[in-house]
Amino acid sequence: MNSSYLLETSSLGLDYGAFSAVGNVDLKIRKGSIHTVIGPNGAGKTSLFHCLTGERKPTRGSIHFNGENLTSLAAHKRVSKGMSRSFQITSLFQNLSVRENLRIAAQGRDGLNALKFWVPETANKANVAKADEVLERIKLEKYADRQAGELSHGQQRVLEVGMALCGSPSLLLLDEPTSGMGVDDIPIMTGLISELGKDHTVMLIEHNMRLVMSISDRITVMHQGNILIEGSPEEVKGDEQVKKAYLGESGHE
Amino acid sequence: MNKKTSIFGGVTIIALALMVLMPILLPSVTLATEILIFALAALACNLLLGYTGLLSFGQGIFFGGGAYSASLVMLHLNFGLISALITAILVGALLALIVGALAIRRTGIYFVMLTLSFSQMAYFLAYTFSDWTGGDNGLLDVPRPALTLFGMTISDLQSSEAFYIFVAAVFAIVFVFSRRVIHSPFGTTLVAIRENEGRSSAVGFSTNHFKLVAFVISGAITGLAGALYAMLLNFAPLSNVELLMSENILIMTIIGGTSSLIGSILGAGSIVLMGDLLSSIWPRWMMILGAVLIAVVLFLPGGLWGGILSLTSKFPWKKVKTNVTSEVTK
Ligand SMILES: Nc1ncnc2c1ncn2[C@@H]1O[C@H](COP(=O)(O)OP(=O)(O)OP(=O)(O)O)[C@@H](O)[C@H]1O
Ligand SMILES: [Mg+2]
Repeated sequence: MNSSYLLETSSLGLDYGAFSAVGNVDLKIRKGSIHTVIGPNGAGKTSLFHCLTGERKPTRGSIHFNGENLTSLAAHKRVSKGMSRSFQITSLFQNLSVRENLRIAAQGRDGLNALKFWVPETANKANVAKADEVLERIKLEKYADRQAGELSHGQQRVLEVGMALCGSPSLLLLDEPTSGMGVDDIPIMTGLISELGKDHTVMLIEHNMRLVMSISDRITVMHQGNILIEGSPEEVKGDEQVKKAYLGESGHE
Repeated sequence: MNKKTSIFGGVTIIALALMVLMPILLPSVTLATEILIFALAALACNLLLGYTGLLSFGQGIFFGGGAYSASLVMLHLNFGLISALITAILVGALLALIVGALAIRRTGIYFVMLTLSFSQMAYFLAYTFSDWTGGDNGLLDVPRPALTLFGMTISDLQSSEAFYIFVAAVFAIVFVFSRRVIHSPFGTTLVAIRENEGRSSAVGFSTNHFKLVAFVISGAITGLAGALYAMLLNFAPLSNVELLMSENILIMTIIGGTSSLIGSILGAGSIVLMGDLLSSIWPRWMMILGAVLIAVVLFLPGGLWGGILSLTSKFPWKKVKTNVTSEVTK
């Protein structure tokens, strides 16, 4: 296994009943890169993420992460291996403060050590520090004591990414971080992701083409559960097949 | 550590004040004792319902299990007070481990159904093994041993005042312990699971382990409450393991309010008091209980404690005070 790749899948697939959401995907994510997965709605991008992070058990194929076979490892155990994700549909602890959302996300790294019920929750200083560090990085310090549910949609999307960041991952998987965000907020997210790309390997699902083209090192295009092509932003931009896939999609509407 | 999360400050002080006031204000000390015992059970239920988001109809199993086990070891093995209570704690924990381990394999209504089924099963087991449980008649002549520490007899606990003080001391210890549990890595994870289980597991928590430990702690406290109840009545009735007991504990928890442990005292207090006052006037008093529950659920979603909190926050003096403190923290 080539050590310049952090994640490798081979003929990875996921069926929902008779329907194949992910067909046979061979994917390699280079260490330190920002690797984006694009494709029309229903292409299977989120389903692919579910397999990678363990939310769903793949129907076929394998996943190697850091050279280790994680194919059937439970989702919560992949965090300690260095994988952490955000969700396309915002998934926060709505009634808890922004700081507590982040602290709990950081606490997730402790695994079963978080079962300690005889010490204060702030006893693990590393988690408190992590929450503060991420709070600063995602620039939500001002809102630290607000309930997550009270934030604007854009801020909630940023917190969504921040929570993934609290897992101290080596691979950060972001599922449409800009989903539902207003045009004015998108540059904030673009800036944040490219900044995170400096010290993380990032796997990104995104529909916003300007964002994708400006920050991706590598792009994989998915269509109907399989990889259409993979290449640099320039290669993907000029590809006829890709245009057809997207046009085909809008042709149905 | 700020006042709100300090386990000895804040609501713990309110709980202590209630414990001092209850025997003075209530018609009898025995009634106050009963309230504290059920407050223990409601508090344990609150850990599951309020903090973890698990609606368990199995609380009667642990309550009855604690009552039977403590009674049996006192009757047949001559166990003393403390060792009988420890037995009840362990039995409550063990029963909760068994029920929990199976029930948490499902979520939502299937989880609730499983706890219900266990509850039914426990009742028929207790009914069937009447050699041990006394069946329909209950276990009679349950002793109330003297409190001895390090070979010294502190009190024989025969007077209702002495027993109240003992129960209050036990309650205070459990209350402080529970506050510690809530404000711990474990407790905050429970709240995260209640808020969003999917995200909790995505950030790295093995949520079933946390739910199971919550069950065990809840079962242990409920078993302790059951044992104290048997000692109070000198009797362990079959009704302890009836579904109605689980329901009552749940109703106390909900009426009191699930956002704070204080709610459990209020909930237990109001139900026990209502039962005591109304049942002598009108045998159908349970209908009123139903109406009260409907009213609380509809108009006081935070329960009695939630209602009190929102009332006090409407007083002008409180607003001034909070403004001042927020000025200071700025
Ligand atoms: N739980 C499920 N059961 C059955 N089918 C599903 C399920 N989840 C997704 N699908 C189907 O699988 C296909 C792929 O869905 P997926 O969410 O992975 O697409 P996506 O590429 O993320 O799309 P989008 O860009 O809209 O988020 C879709 O046709 C979807 O309807
Ligand atoms: Mg998707």
